Amino acid sequence: MKRTIPKYYPLIPVFAAYLIMFIIGFTMPGMWQMVALLAFYCALGQSWNIFMGMTGYVDFGYVTFIALGTYGMALGVQYFYQIEGLGIGIIFIGIFLALFLASLSAILEAAIALRLRGAYFAIACIGINEGLRYFIEGAKIWGGSEGIIFSGALTEAVGREVANQLTTFWADFAVFIIAALAAFLNVHYMRSKIGYALTAVREDEDAAKVMGINTFKYKTIAFLTSGLLGGLVGAMAWGLKLTHVFPGDVFVIHYTVECIVVVLLGGAGTLLGPVVGGLIYGLSKYWLAVILPGFQLLIFAPIIIAIIVAFPGGIIGLVKQRIKGTPLERYIV
Amino acid sequence: MVLLKLENITKRFGGLIAVNDVSLEIEHGELMAIVGPNGAGKTTLFNVINGVYPPDEGRVIFNERDITRLPAYRRAPLGIGRTFQIPRPFSSASVQENVAVGAMFGTLAGKVSVDGCLEIAERYTELVGLEAHKNKEAGSLTPVEKKMMEIARALAMKPKLLLMDEAMAGMHPKDIDEMVRFLKKIKKEENIAIVSMVEHIMRAVAGFANRVVVMHQGAKLIDAPTEQALSDPRVVEVYLGRP
Repeated sequence: MKRTIPKYYPLIPVFAAYLIMFIIGFTMPGMWQMVALLAFYCALGQSWNIFMGMTGYVDFGYVTFIALGTYGMALGVQYFYQIEGLGIGIIFIGIFLALFLASLSAILEAAIALRLRGAYFAIACIGINEGLRYFIEGAKIWGGSEGIIFSGALTEAVGREVANQLTTFWADFAVFIIAALAAFLNVHYMRSKIGYALTAVREDEDAAKVMGINTFKYKTIAFLTSGLLGGLVGAMAWGLKLTHVFPGDVFVIHYTVECIVVVLLGGAGTLLGPVVGGLIYGLSKYWLAVILPGFQLLIFAPIIIAIIVAFPGGIIGLVKQRIKGTPLERYIV
Repeated sequence: MVLLKLENITKRFGGLIAVNDVSLEIEHGELMAIVGPNGAGKTTLFNVINGVYPPDEGRVIFNERDITRLPAYRRAPLGIGRTFQIPRPFSSASVQENVAVGAMFGTLAGKVSVDGCLEIAERYTELVGLEAHKNKEAGSLTPVEKKMMEIARALAMKPKLLLMDEAMAGMHPKDIDEMVRFLKKIKKEENIAIVSMVEHIMRAVAGFANRVVVMHQGAKLIDAPTEQALSDPRVVEVYLGRP
């Protein structure tokens, strides 16, 4: 039991970063939107990294979970706002539906795609994402391609003032909480049997099976966790914050690519990596959009290539090498 | 007492019969060597025993339980450990963590905490002489060190049966003698049945095994006590052909 407390030391720098971001956003006028954007990238990176970093499987269809989370919130508010006396509880119905849809798709996707490896897995995930989008549009469920606009329903359910607070503050605040939760789960997994099993899967899946590891089960645990967190991010950062959802806006692979950039930049499989990656990516995207609108990706592409070639472990991978053997090692994982 | 029983195992890959109607019994705590030239079906036989793939015909019975259709990951907790011909370490993890994986998912699975497994791993890392490297990444070890690490990982599973695939190939004769001594010591302390698969290093076979099984073209050719088996003229024939 002597390791129980130090095992969570690596959370200190992560939580410190989130706290500082929050304080800056909360106290400095005009900074909240930018901080919210940073928290969004950190949370997404952290959530995506739980699966990709630990298993080595690249889920290109990750945005499916974010999209379904958004739909969960939209459906919750749109279909239940007329029920008397729910008040703020309607948000929790939205969260519940977001988690339900995300877990449902995670389990189905796990059953199909997690049996595949490498590029086949990646393609299967993209296929599921595109399939879902066209299914929603074609079968005209949940509003089809017109999507759901639920700002009116939200206002009616909780009142104009509360709705305003929810969309401008609490939705962003929740993203911080999700990011922190993702970091906690990540450390918890890393230091438990799950982490050891998944490291074995990442390095040599067939040898892992021979060592007694039920690889499918552990992959599914990580996939489901990652998907649920993605669903929560969607429910808050896209659903509650924007109060509308259109299939053409949410089932977009571009966001998965952003996850990949954030995680590889900071360091795949590390805890602090997605935070560092999220901050760098979010900040540069924000400033580049101001200084050189439209050129963000053009500038980012060579930077990413340079980083992957120069230090494939990402920034934190590099830092970890440098501090090996020093007391700092305990805090940076 | 019989630990593992193979009943008429046949495994085909397309038209190729890799293992042809092999029956075999291994006792608790027995030291056995399976020898045979390249392509004799030794590795296929190992893969059938530890569940990498099921046989086309026949049954595998371990500890009086039919495990013919059991997937590999459910056999390890019953007590079947394995090392590979070409070492397959979990490269990015440390040596100690690699060995701990064995303890975590072997016969002790669910009985020992993660910290407990790390302690067990420390003991076995020391036993195979890798204590100086325990915090190193497994991928950075030399080939011989990787083999030793794999043995430690398999032993940390606390197996009843340890399958060693060419553990001594490419080793210096002095190291082979040391390995043989080490395996005998382990066998005595933990009463593990060890089946070692050897292509041609008779020095290892003679020093190690009580019983030798010679395989040839997928079939069991000889199954006899070591001295008798090695002096059998058919052994020479298997390797060099009929004069």
